[in-house]
Amino acid sequence: MNPILTSVPPYVLLALAALAVLALPRRLGHAAAALATGFTFVQALLLGDGGTGTHLATQFLGFDVVWFNVDQFSLLMGVVVGFLATAAVLYAYGTEAPTWVTAFALIYVSSTVGTIYAGDWLTLIFFWELMAVTSTLLVWQYGGAAVRAGYRYALFHGIGGTFLLGAVVVHGASMLGSVPASEIFLFSSATGIHANATLLAAIGVGVNCGFIFLHTWLPDTYPRPHVAASVFLSVFTTKTAAYVMYRTFPEGGMWLAYLGGFMAVYGAFFALLQYDPRRLLSYHIQAQLGYMLAGFGLATYVGEFAVTGGFAHLFNNVLYKSLLFMAVGVVIYRTGVEDIRDMGGLWREMPVTFVVYLIGAASITAVPGFNGFISKGMVIDSAHELHNFELLFGEGLLWWLLILGGVGTFMSFIKLGYYVFFHGSATLSPKDATPFQTAGMLLAGGACVFFGTPLTYGYLVELMPFTAEVAPELHPYSTSHLTESAALLVTGFVGFFALKRPLGWLAHHMRDIDAVTYPAAFYLARGSIWGVTELWAAVDRAVMSTIAAVEWTGMHPREALARAGVDTEIRTGIGRSVLFLTLAAGVALFVFVLA
Amino acid sequence: MSDVLLPIAIATPLVAATLPLALGLKYEDAGWSVAAVATTALAGLAAGIGLEVARGGTLSHALGTYEPPIGIELVADELSVAVLVLVAAVSLATLAFARVAGPRGNSFYSGYLLLVGGLTGLVLTGDLFNMFVFLEIVGISTYALIAADRSGASAYASLKYLVVGTVGASLYLLGVGYAFLATGTLNMLDMQVQILEQASYADPLIRASYALIVAGLGLKIAVFPIHAWQPDAYQRAPDAVTTIVAALVSTASAYALIRVSYTVFTVDFLAANDAITTVMLIVAGASILAGSALAAMQSDLKRMFAYSSVAQFGMIVAAVALANETALLGGIVHLVGHGLLKFGLFLGIGLLALGYGARELDDLASAARSAPYTGGAVALLGLGLVGIPPSIGFLGKWYIGVGAVESSLGGGGPAGIGIAVVIFISTLFTLSYVARVIERFYFAGVGVPGGHGDDDHSDGHDDDDRGDGHAAEVAADGGHESATGDGGPLTPVEGAARSRFVPDRVPPASLAILILTAFATVGLGFAGYALFEWFDPFLTEVFA
Repeated sequence: MNPILTSVPPYVLLALAALAVLALPRRLGHAAAALATGFTFVQALLLGDGGTGTHLATQFLGFDVVWFNVDQFSLLMGVVVGFLATAAVLYAYGTEAPTWVTAFALIYVSSTVGTIYAGDWLTLIFFWELMAVTSTLLVWQYGGAAVRAGYRYALFHGIGGTFLLGAVVVHGASMLGSVPASEIFLFSSATGIHANATLLAAIGVGVNCGFIFLHTWLPDTYPRPHVAASVFLSVFTTKTAAYVMYRTFPEGGMWLAYLGGFMAVYGAFFALLQYDPRRLLSYHIQAQLGYMLAGFGLATYVGEFAVTGGFAHLFNNVLYKSLLFMAVGVVIYRTGVEDIRDMGGLWREMPVTFVVYLIGAASITAVPGFNGFISKGMVIDSAHELHNFELLFGEGLLWWLLILGGVGTFMSFIKLGYYVFFHGSATLSPKDATPFQTAGMLLAGGACVFFGTPLTYGYLVELMPFTAEVAPELHPYSTSHLTESAALLVTGFVGFFALKRPLGWLAHHMRDIDAVTYPAAFYLARGSIWGVTELWAAVDRAVMSTIAAVEWTGMHPREALARAGVDTEIRTGIGRSVLFLTLAAGVALFVFVLA
Repeated sequence: MSDVLLPIAIATPLVAATLPLALGLKYEDAGWSVAAVATTALAGLAAGIGLEVARGGTLSHALGTYEPPIGIELVADELSVAVLVLVAAVSLATLAFARVAGPRGNSFYSGYLLLVGGLTGLVLTGDLFNMFVFLEIVGISTYALIAADRSGASAYASLKYLVVGTVGASLYLLGVGYAFLATGTLNMLDMQVQILEQASYADPLIRASYALIVAGLGLKIAVFPIHAWQPDAYQRAPDAVTTIVAALVSTASAYALIRVSYTVFTVDFLAANDAITTVMLIVAGASILAGSALAAMQSDLKRMFAYSSVAQFGMIVAAVALANETALLGGIVHLVGHGLLKFGLFLGIGLLALGYGARELDDLASAARSAPYTGGAVALLGLGLVGIPPSIGFLGKWYIGVGAVESSLGGGGPAGIGIAVVIFISTLFTLSYVARVIERFYFAGVGVPGGHGDDDHSDGHDDDDRGDGHAAEVAADGGHESATGDGGPLTPVEGAARSRFVPDRVPPASLAILILTAFATVGLGFAGYALFEWFDPFLTEVFA
């Protein structure tokens, strides 16, 4: 393999490109940015299976660290992140994103790529924390409502990062003894994270994965910044988290699979209730992550097929999720409206955007011919083999959860498309997407189609790990799959139009968990600050008055005695001095002679 | 024949003591000049003796034609030379202050020289009874000097010291008598041998003798609870007298304790009598704690540092009772260092009283502004007393503390650790009262006219010397100080000395000596190894 290729960590180039975006004129800067992201993509492609290995391994504080760890998993992440980032840079250029947005976005991509290529827990946590910081900056840059949301985002990720840091420390401490001390943090020293750190790591990564109850930052933050920033944000943090989840728990676990199933339902359900398009899409991030985690969770029970399904879904999700954010972003960019009820009939006004939206929606809802169909089918197939809690038709709970999530997804994208592009006649007459927006969307949309058609989905499997094991078993276009898909589609349509009114009612009355957790956290923090402050003040008062009393007694011993009712001379006069001396001599004699 | 320096060193101040009285018939103020010449000569003699000891080791001289053990022997070894140099230096340096601060008159200087002669003799004698004689000379001249300003309070303090001091000296004499009965000799070195030959370490007579000597010297040293004479004496005595008495008198008595304990009774006696060392350690610990606590309670500066001496001498007694090499080295270093520190502190307090009429802590708001050099030197000496390195105060305490821990680790029971803990607590107390002084000097007085943080310089006191005082200004820190009832800023008394070089309204010669002393204590803080080298022959002999 070309040694130059393995000696250049792409995140360094990306970081330099971020500086270039700031320093150069807008056009040149974005060109440099696209080159850097393109390099990331091409490098990962070229490295391929022959380039795997731990490159740039060195020592930090006496621990072995790997700055550029290339294996099947990091490569596929590198490919898709590099590809999508290139599309997103083009999109940002076409959306008049301020150079600061692109610069922050690039440094954010840089830390993402660093996380992906980390070969040890120390490097990973370093880039992980950096990712939280850079993404917060990207949110904050927009100002306005994004500042408070970004602050909540920073709190979430600060806490999550601390949990993961704790997990890394516990992992390192637990590994001591079983491997040489310098190797305790290497991925290659252990399978996933040490059992002692399971809970810490699950919570730490879970915040970024959008575990139920830890997810509220997602719909809170992603609708608020610049539309181009949303495109970056929507794919990197959560998908990297899913990837790190696999690194942490490569053997999966039922808890992870079922958590994924519930996330799919929970996310899809709340997405159904939303009217802010980006908020709706944000809930779908949680739902889609549920599918990935379900796949990873079945790693031991089902095997490589489930893992590959999870990764394929991750890969595809990066493409169509950003595509959807781009399409919706174009609408918002052109109309300035962020409520789908105020849109409508736009398919005539914005045909390109409409087509792109259709591609994205078809992909995420797993319509045959689009990439989501392939990967979601793999995950559902894996769940099919699980019969823990059998419900209807002899299918297990997990399968039903994933199917239910699929129906919800269908319903919500019908809803989104219906409100934005149909739903009466157009009251707005915006222009369609700009050329560079179109270019970005075409890249992402093209990939969605490319990896989904019956002829070309093989390339998706090629990029995946365990190609040899999985490819023979993969038959996405079998009759049963197509039937299943059709059933989902029909149920979705029927469901949406049947439940439109109840859902509208629910949307006004059903609030997410953050209606409870945010005030609770706020008043808890305020209460504890008040409590600590007052407690300290009380301690301070008590100590100070005690000291004052002691000091006064010391300074005025006679008065103190007089107050206690003893009125006596306490100074030693001549007579008493002689008495003391005699006594002292007597005691000395007594002890010294008789001892 | 260099051993003849020893009797000359004792005779010089004693003989000179008669001159002010004799010359006083003709001259009004011959006293100071005579004292200056005599103490200068003594300083030279002390230096000569020091050189001789450094060159040839222990120096001894038989008085008259009577050879020891019958005759009286004078001895100078490393320990006595160290104290002798301190005596000579302090008695010379105090004269500069006494000249401006009084008391005046020929009889005062006769008493002064008598005290110096007594101290010299006490340090150099090699005979137990002779030591009693010098102890009494020191005592009687101290009684007289304390009352030298003829005020009622000082007369009472003097009388108190006279009564208990006499009882104490009598106890010492009684102890020497017992030892003489048991051994038939009074020469220290001879008695060391005779105790073993004619008696034993368990002999009740010997033990009783040691008990009486320790009780008598304990009073002179002023350890708790027989310290009551000392704060009164230090506080009420004229400032110049306090300066020399606080630096030398208790120090010489503590020297006597070390000398008697280690040269006469020896470390084996202490080792053979656990109960004795235990009781001494308990008394020393109580002394350290009580002295520090009482010092922290005082508002009069002289009384505060008087109680501080009770604590510091407690440490020295503890070092004697611990009976190991490190602790004893610490005790000796602390003996000399404490003398130097207290000389400087009482000199500084005396200067502030002389120049500004301030004697109470509350009077000293912003003292460092009016008298930056005096205040700075006192602060430096105070920190040395706390034991903040580099200072000789730190070295002494450190060695005693280390010795205490060593003795516990070496199987000496919990007493050593107890002493180390007590020393630590005492250090905190010391810090508390020294910090109060420094706080007064540097931070108090915000809001009072002419105080820190007050930019209005048009009122208050003279403006002539304010030039660089302005630069030393400290930012106001809230200004609630005025509520504590400060008596206003430090104002020089009428006719206070001035100098072209410093804003301090204190006599320049004394100020120079004060600053020199402060630097000497810091400089000696770097001399830990040199001090160890110097005292090593003595320690080796004692612990042989």
